Amino acid sequence: MRTKTAVARFRPAKRGLFFLFLWVITGKAQAAEQPTPVDSVAVDTVLTVSLKAIAGLQFDRVRFRVKPGAPVRVTLENTDDMAHNLVITKPGARQEVVNAALQLGERGPAAHYIPQSSAILWTIPVVLPEETGSVTFIAPAESGVYPYVCTFPGHGFVMYGAMYVTEGPLPALKDDPAVPENRRKADSPPTASHANHAPERFHPYEPAPPFLYRIFMPDASPAAIAVSLPHAVSYCWDAGTCRLRYAWQGGFLDQSKLWPGKGDTEAKLIGTVFFRDATGYPLRTNSSSKPPAVDFKGYQLLDRYPEFHYSVDGVEVYELIRSKENGNGLLRRFKIPNASGPVRFLTAPDDGVRYQASAGKWADGSLELSPSEAREFTITMTKRID
Amino acid sequence: MLKPGLLLSTLSFLLFVAAIREDPKPVVKTAYRVETIPMPEGLSSETGAIAFLPDGRLVAAFHRGEVMIYEPKTRKWALFAEGLHEPLGILVVSPAELIIMQRPELTRVKDRDGDGKADLYEKVTDAFGISGNYHEFNYGPIRDKDGNLFIGLNTASPNGGVRREVRGALDTLAAEHPKQMFSPVSYRGWLLKLTPDKRLVPYASGFRSPNGLAFDASGHLLATDNQGDWVGTSPLYHVQEGKFYGHPASLVWEKGWRGGNPLKIEPSELDKNRTKAAVLFPHGILANSITQPVCDQTGGRFGPFVGQLFVGEMNQDRILRVMLEEVGGQLQGACIPFLDGQGLRKGNNRLAFAPDGSLWTGQNDHGWAGDRGIQRIVFTGKPPMDVYRMNLTPTGFDLTFTQPVDVATARQLSQYQVRHYFYEYHKAYGSPQFDVQTVPVLAVSISPNRKTVSLTLAALKPGLIYELTLGNIKGAQGEPLANKLICYTLNALKQ
Repeated sequence: MRTKTAVARFRPAKRGLFFLFLWVITGKAQAAEQPTPVDSVAVDTVLTVSLKAIAGLQFDRVRFRVKPGAPVRVTLENTDDMAHNLVITKPGARQEVVNAALQLGERGPAAHYIPQSSAILWTIPVVLPEETGSVTFIAPAESGVYPYVCTFPGHGFVMYGAMYVTEGPLPALKDDPAVPENRRKADSPPTASHANHAPERFHPYEPAPPFLYRIFMPDASPAAIAVSLPHAVSYCWDAGTCRLRYAWQGGFLDQSKLWPGKGDTEAKLIGTVFFRDATGYPLRTNSSSKPPAVDFKGYQLLDRYPEFHYSVDGVEVYELIRSKENGNGLLRRFKIPNASGPVRFLTAPDDGVRYQASAGKWADGSLELSPSEAREFTITMTKRID
Repeated sequence: MLKPGLLLSTLSFLLFVAAIREDPKPVVKTAYRVETIPMPEGLSSETGAIAFLPDGRLVAAFHRGEVMIYEPKTRKWALFAEGLHEPLGILVVSPAELIIMQRPELTRVKDRDGDGKADLYEKVTDAFGISGNYHEFNYGPIRDKDGNLFIGLNTASPNGGVRREVRGALDTLAAEHPKQMFSPVSYRGWLLKLTPDKRLVPYASGFRSPNGLAFDASGHLLATDNQGDWVGTSPLYHVQEGKFYGHPASLVWEKGWRGGNPLKIEPSELDKNRTKAAVLFPHGILANSITQPVCDQTGGRFGPFVGQLFVGEMNQDRILRVMLEEVGGQLQGACIPFLDGQGLRKGNNRLAFAPDGSLWTGQNDHGWAGDRGIQRIVFTGKPPMDVYRMNLTPTGFDLTFTQPVDVATARQLSQYQVRHYFYEYHKAYGSPQFDVQTVPVLAVSISPNRKTVSLTLAALKPGLIYELTLGNIKGAQGEPLANKLICYTLNALKQ
């Protein structure tokens, strides 16, 4: 953010006089309080301020500074998925103008939701998604905080910012009452990462592991399930493909970007991934070499641990995953009560873990179990340290 | 000069007056009262769904996956389920069993051991696609009398993309969708029917953002949609099997589709097969983003509008009311604000009637205009002075009021301003109003019971919205009219 010393604050006074001069010679000074068209201003002297309407009922920039009397062109590019306008008002008049816009009723659409009001200085009429509108004007000679706001019904209470007409510095953003409260943190939209901050409270309770979220996750189908286990171990189980995708150690998830906003986002992992399934599909209930057809059925919670229920080529499977006591791996308990033939559990080399099984025989990194062994078995996956 | 005694008695008189003013018994001035429900601390109360258990407890689902139960008697919340992916609809099966629409699937959530917490999350169906695009919200379920469930699938937004890995079939045509909502995976933009034998059947197409499914009192399936591309202003549709409602993106999942990219078909071609809205909500006038409709089946405990629909609105502190009638074999009708302000917040995303007849509203914003939390609207017992019904006649409209009108004002032609207009069906976002014209009111007559005003209009044309602004019409005792702007969607003329 821009900062200025106290000395610098006085210096621009002379330039202020110059702009006042410019203001007079443009012949518009007689209407200092009135909206001023600027056809007569040469384009190369115009300061262009580019604003975007972005998702979340906000402008990408919540304040900007112009010098008193400066020619200004404000453009509004609409990158949101709904229409917006932009109205610049006299200082302190935002709320009044927003309320007047709400009173337009059936006259709203024809008026671009812009009311007749002497408090309105300049406007950009309705800008549809992916279009751009603009307005050019001479900034007021009087220093002050001139709000800009979208006056669409409902938008004006949150979608606004401030044009500072001043030679001086702006107040600290964090204390600036002229910008929306959720935008007083940084000069960028509030989607910036806050991963380093203390964990935010996300629920009316404190989730204690094990617990899960169905949530958009990296490297998984959009039907992912993220599970937080004791001992700082977490895993991503994919209900879209019915398999464990990966596991990580350290923290759980950062949802600070995902939950507050709209737009394509996913949760961020906190910690280090130590396992990624690379088999294509690990469970086989027949001798076919093709990836099996799978169907997700749901899960039950057993002492809060999810036990996933799905079918693999028509054979019912139950899978419950715990963390190892020392947090260096996973214990996967499978129950396949009705296998009609041998069940195979495939592994891939270099997937980050060593395998042990409570039953069955290993051959070439593949575990084979008889139907009775498959009724219940546990596979231990220990993080490799080499 | 005042004597001390007099001063004292004056003072005590003032105190007495003050005491009277603080009398807790409120004078009922309005027909409806808005109450705000206390929300649990730490909850981001972006309300995705609300429903009632038969015992009067409220069950609500929130954006971050919590499902919570509120006991109105104790004003206490309890957690029932957690971890769901953007739940947006709840169907109550029993106090221990809910069917919840979440992002990846329709899920049966059950508390089997009776400890008040769900322990089984069973897939009901996931036989539809998800691409990961943020706008692929899922709506419903609602259940018809035969046990079919209906759900609605939002299209994807061009402001988002498609994930590398999707669930369901991916349509390659979907890559070309400049400024258009699109349907990258199966049945985006459709309403689907889940039969009791668990087949998920495509039911009707052409939806953009059907954030509100309901049945009316006669069992008609209704769905709202949101203004945007191909949707000039927000509609309420009467949804029938096999019909197409206007947004072309969904057509790519039509069985045996060979039409190429449906977003490139001429609007005039699409229009031929399009079923029009039963009711249109003029954008920026009555609503910007309508949500859940709910039918008043309270038997009068919510006031006089039994059988009519209430519809939420995101952008304004408003709930709307819809009155439907059958004309020429099709549903059409009027919409009017029901409640404006009075403490109501914006973001009225979900509506549900409690067993006691109060109307609850779950609020949401989530990046759009709105608010958060839950409120409840209670009928105070004071009869509202409002338009009860608006019916088309061969020559104009009959307006029936909830109470007799003051004849002296109601018989003045100048009290009725009528204009008509329409919204264009085209690919652009929204639509301006076209053919905006004032329609002269030629005659007014009032029924003997002074409740129905018959208006004769200079002309009536199908395909237009008739917007009626009422002047100073009041009740026989001088009560002002609660709402003065009412819009009738005229699809068919009355013979």
